[in-house]
Amino acid sequence: MQPLPAPTAVVADDERLMREQIIARLKDAWPELVIVGEASNGREAIAIVQSLEPDIVFLDISMPGVDGIEAARTLAGQAHVVFVTAHDQYAIDAFEQGAVDYLLKPAEPERVALTCRRLRARLRQEPDPMHDLLAQLSQRLGAGGLKPREYLRWVQASVGASIRMIPTGDILFFRAEDKYTRVQTRSFEALIRKPIKELIAELDPDEFWQIHRATVVRVDAVEQVSRNLRGNQVVHVKGSEEKLEVSRSYHHVFKQM
Amino acid sequence: MGIRQAFREIRRGAVVMWWGFFDWVAVVSWKALLLVAFLSLIIGGIFRLPTLAFVLIVASFIIKVVAGGKRRAELTASQANRRAETEQLERTVLEARMESLQAQIEPHFLFNTLASIDQLIQTDPPRASRMQQSLIRYLRSAMPQMRDGGRPTLGQQVSLSSAFLEIMAVRMEERLQPTLNVPEGLKSAVFPSMMLQTLVENAIKHGLEPKADGGRLEIGAEIVDGQLAVHVLDTGIGFMPKSEGGVGLANVRERLEALYNGRAELIISVPPAGGTCATIKVPYEVVPAPAPA
Repeated sequence: MQPLPAPTAVVADDERLMREQIIARLKDAWPELVIVGEASNGREAIAIVQSLEPDIVFLDISMPGVDGIEAARTLAGQAHVVFVTAHDQYAIDAFEQGAVDYLLKPAEPERVALTCRRLRARLRQEPDPMHDLLAQLSQRLGAGGLKPREYLRWVQASVGASIRMIPTGDILFFRAEDKYTRVQTRSFEALIRKPIKELIAELDPDEFWQIHRATVVRVDAVEQVSRNLRGNQVVHVKGSEEKLEVSRSYHHVFKQM
Repeated sequence: MGIRQAFREIRRGAVVMWWGFFDWVAVVSWKALLLVAFLSLIIGGIFRLPTLAFVLIVASFIIKVVAGGKRRAELTASQANRRAETEQLERTVLEARMESLQAQIEPHFLFNTLASIDQLIQTDPPRASRMQQSLIRYLRSAMPQMRDGGRPTLGQQVSLSSAFLEIMAVRMEERLQPTLNVPEGLKSAVFPSMMLQTLVENAIKHGLEPKADGGRLEIGAEIVDGQLAVHVLDTGIGFMPKSEGGVGLANVRERLEALYNGRAELIISVPPAGGTCATIKVPYEVVPAPAPA
């Protein structure tokens, strides 16, 4: 019987000490395993695995740029994946149900040995494509939690000489003025280039209402709505002296409930 | 004995009733008082005591004119006092609640750091020891039950964050280059606990860690227009307008509002070279030096 070629692995973690630790533990638990490469982020991991075609890849979940889960999705079916994480209860729950193994940092030697035994048995099979698990993981972890949300939460505006990030919760209203849009807060005003038409598409419709072609007001900042002499509705805003006119076509916004 | 006891009870009851009546007369509107006067005249007529009813009515009118204003002011004042006490209590509760929110030590950070120390024990024991010292220093000031009751100073907060940065610099290596730019003279200034740390953690978590090459992180403090301005600047991936900004920043805002009532602010700005700069401005106040024992 011919001896099998030595099994190979790639270790990916953004912290060098963590890679060293896993490699040292693996050396103790599985001396025949050859570490053919190391990666410090998801993108590197994908490139190295695709060029060196190892049997196994150890992927840290939180890595800069492309995280471990994204990398696993790209590499699905190409190598046996073992996830490495310090503390992600959701992820651990998901692993417990799936066929893919995981290691917790700091990695205990006994636990690494168990993973190695499982991997030895699994090497004879094709790598699991992990479809269900990855879908579940990216849902639970929000794909690393870095995906932008649907709506604007901050508005970038010049105030004096600096560029500020203003939380939408601080904004009383937006008003179109010539080429700019004025952002009014309780304590200052700022100008942005984004026109009202684009803003309204990006703002949370539960947080901001358009009341005029040129005006968008934060609902929570509305103090009262009255009528002026011409019979138009006028919005009074908490923390500002300015009265905002509601144009005819937006009167339905404040119609009696 | 029993009779005396009963007599005292009756007297106490009468006093309470009298003051109740007095308060009522003081605050009731003239219209209502006239209506009641009219009714009691009728009732007095039915019971054939019109003179007594009339005397009572005249007496209560006099009481209202003479003592009403003063008594009414007293009542309003005591109500306002009670309200102020409730508000104070609410504020204390709010502060305690936010303190506990703020004080959470990230398990992720703790486990990763312990794993790093574990590895350094094998490869570089002196460095492992230094890192463990930093961790102890960090935990001592970050754990709420370990904090002393006095007003926190900027010096304490900077020392806490620099212990944290020492740990992160060992872990992230060249991907984190921290600099400290806090004048010695400002370290005795009052600065709320765990706020600087929130900014530092944010800068690393949302700015530098997601960036493959990492970057610089600077803590600085200065006096601007009589206010203490403390900033954390990073050259990371920059702020995303659609991100929630984390619970951390919202908490800092809420706490500043509760503590300083509009006299403090948190400003997030974008430096010309990119990255993020978060600045907390609070009134400049110095903790009095402890009296010599």
